[in-house]
Amino acid sequence: MSARLRTRVAAVLSFLPGALIAQAASSADLSRDLDRLAQGERITGLPPASQVTDGPRSIAASTVETRTIVARGPIDIFGRVDGSVISLKGDVTVHAGGSVGGDAISVGGRVNADSGKVLGEIRTMSSLPTVFGANAVVADTRTSAQRTMDAAKLVCGTFAMVLVIALGVLLFAGPNLDEVAATIESQFVKAFWYGVVGQLVALPGLLVVIVALALSIIGILLIPFGIVAYAIAAAGLATLGFLAVTRLIGGAVWRDATASARSRTLGALAAGIAIFFVLWMVAALFTWAPLAATVVRAAALAATWAALTLGLGAAILSRAGTHRRIAGATAGRPVELAAWQTPTPVAGVVAARRTVGVGAREAR
Amino acid sequence: MRALRAAALLALTLPAAARAQDARWRNVDISRQLRDTSAQRIRVQYAAGRVDVRGTSDPLLYAMHLRYDERRAVPLHRHDAAQRMTTLGVESLGKGASRSSGSEPGELRLTLPRAIPLDLDLEFGGTQSVLDFGDMSLQSLRLESAATDATLLFSRPNRLRMRELEINVGAADFAARQLGNANADQIRIRGGVGGVDLDFSGAWTHDVTVTTRLVLGKLTLHIPSDVGLKVDLHRVAAGFEHTGLVKRDDGWYSPNFESAPYKLRLRAETLFGQLEIQHATR
Repeated sequence: MSARLRTRVAAVLSFLPGALIAQAASSADLSRDLDRLAQGERITGLPPASQVTDGPRSIAASTVETRTIVARGPIDIFGRVDGSVISLKGDVTVHAGGSVGGDAISVGGRVNADSGKVLGEIRTMSSLPTVFGANAVVADTRTSAQRTMDAAKLVCGTFAMVLVIALGVLLFAGPNLDEVAATIESQFVKAFWYGVVGQLVALPGLLVVIVALALSIIGILLIPFGIVAYAIAAAGLATLGFLAVTRLIGGAVWRDATASARSRTLGALAAGIAIFFVLWMVAALFTWAPLAATVVRAAALAATWAALTLGLGAAILSRAGTHRRIAGATAGRPVELAAWQTPTPVAGVVAARRTVGVGAREAR
Repeated sequence: MRALRAAALLALTLPAAARAQDARWRNVDISRQLRDTSAQRIRVQYAAGRVDVRGTSDPLLYAMHLRYDERRAVPLHRHDAAQRMTTLGVESLGKGASRSSGSEPGELRLTLPRAIPLDLDLEFGGTQSVLDFGDMSLQSLRLESAATDATLLFSRPNRLRMRELEINVGAADFAARQLGNANADQIRIRGGVGGVDLDFSGAWTHDVTVTTRLVLGKLTLHIPSDVGLKVDLHRVAAGFEHTGLVKRDDGWYSPNFESAPYKLRLRAETLFGQLEIQHATR
């Protein structure tokens, strides 16, 4: 073997793997393109990538193709194709006398079928369709540690949000919060059952509002606003009630006699929210162990639900913390200390004859 | 204050910008060759964007150009040859409307055959539509639109006598031009909130009965001078401008009602709005 021949063989051998890899990649691309066409354009009967013509394709007159034809180049139809004709990078032209039994599709080109016959649809598209559905079914690939970290972050974020809301409620609706908390203290059981009933009638209540608005003609226009207002009112009541519960729970833990009333309330609120936060954080930290996480999460959910129900009931009972203040405002007149006693009627009391027993009469 | 305004502006524009970035626009042209001349039923549904529908003399059952965000919608093109029924438009994937950014709305351009008798059923969401059905062969037309800025035009007479023309618009700015060319026996129009402007000029071939119901808004009718008009009005807290009409026992009449070659009988129900009739005089 001469030196020149050896050089040529070496050159061919060095290029061969690259060419093979390129061909394999191209084949994979083509398979993906066909898959996108099949799913995105709902085309059935597409041939495998190996049967796709890599370049121009022509169906001669008097030729009958029974299958779907796909080419990466322009396609000219002079004969008959019973299936569809798809050009991935060129025009599809159905000439006079030519016919396509299925669809004539061109990606990035045009379909000219003025002279020929296409029984199916004629479609031209700027690009292949993107199949987004495949992304949706991708499994959660995060590790246990990542999932635990994400769950903990979620709990921290929620805790921060609740704290901000609590601060807002304290600043702008502090007296209402106090009244709801006082209602929980004085009417604990009643508040809980009111909360349960409140949850049960929340949806029927909304339906009643919608029907009532719909019955009056002009009210139909107000239905969307009514729904939003109802949802905001319900969420506001539940939040106010929940914060009142956390304030009471936190108050049992946070006792600072030297602090001002507002500081004590703030501290109690933060402590109460922190207790619920700890519950949910424990559940989040157990994310790596699904069974334990489910148990702890169920406990946290139950505790939060009980607090929400109790708080909602108290908020309803106290009319969002306004009931007592309204009562207090109207009771501005002096309180009679003996008002609890049974008053004697102005007209006096009719004297009744005292019943005397038979034995006593005889004894007389 | 300036910072607050800037923050509000940012909050308003951010979601739109995010959606615009999300959008993945795609252009598709879909058509089908005409096989025969028997009547067809065509239903078009489109959620949001620009719509243009008109007739064509090309031998096509339909030719549709779509520009749509493929993250939010898929083209709709179903044809049932046995039932002679075709459904076209865009189907939402439930990720919001297909008009994803304010500057780049989606688009539907549809051409339908003039020579084929058609029962046309159009359902639009929030669209800006121009519908020119001049010189077509419509047997019936139903247009339903939620929030639209639409113009319906019969630039030339409809080739067939239309059984019914029904228009239901929600919050809309709707105008119908040259309705006389529609060649319809009955026209029914229902409006929610907004302005409805109906022009009855065109080539009249027979009497027409029009029923309108408008809840909140203004309904304006332009009637040609050679058409006799009778108005049967039912209104609640609604204004009625009727220059040139005369009140009789059972309604309002134009002076030429008896002598006019063609008559328009209008039954109008208006609630919290205004009905204005402009009857042209010779």
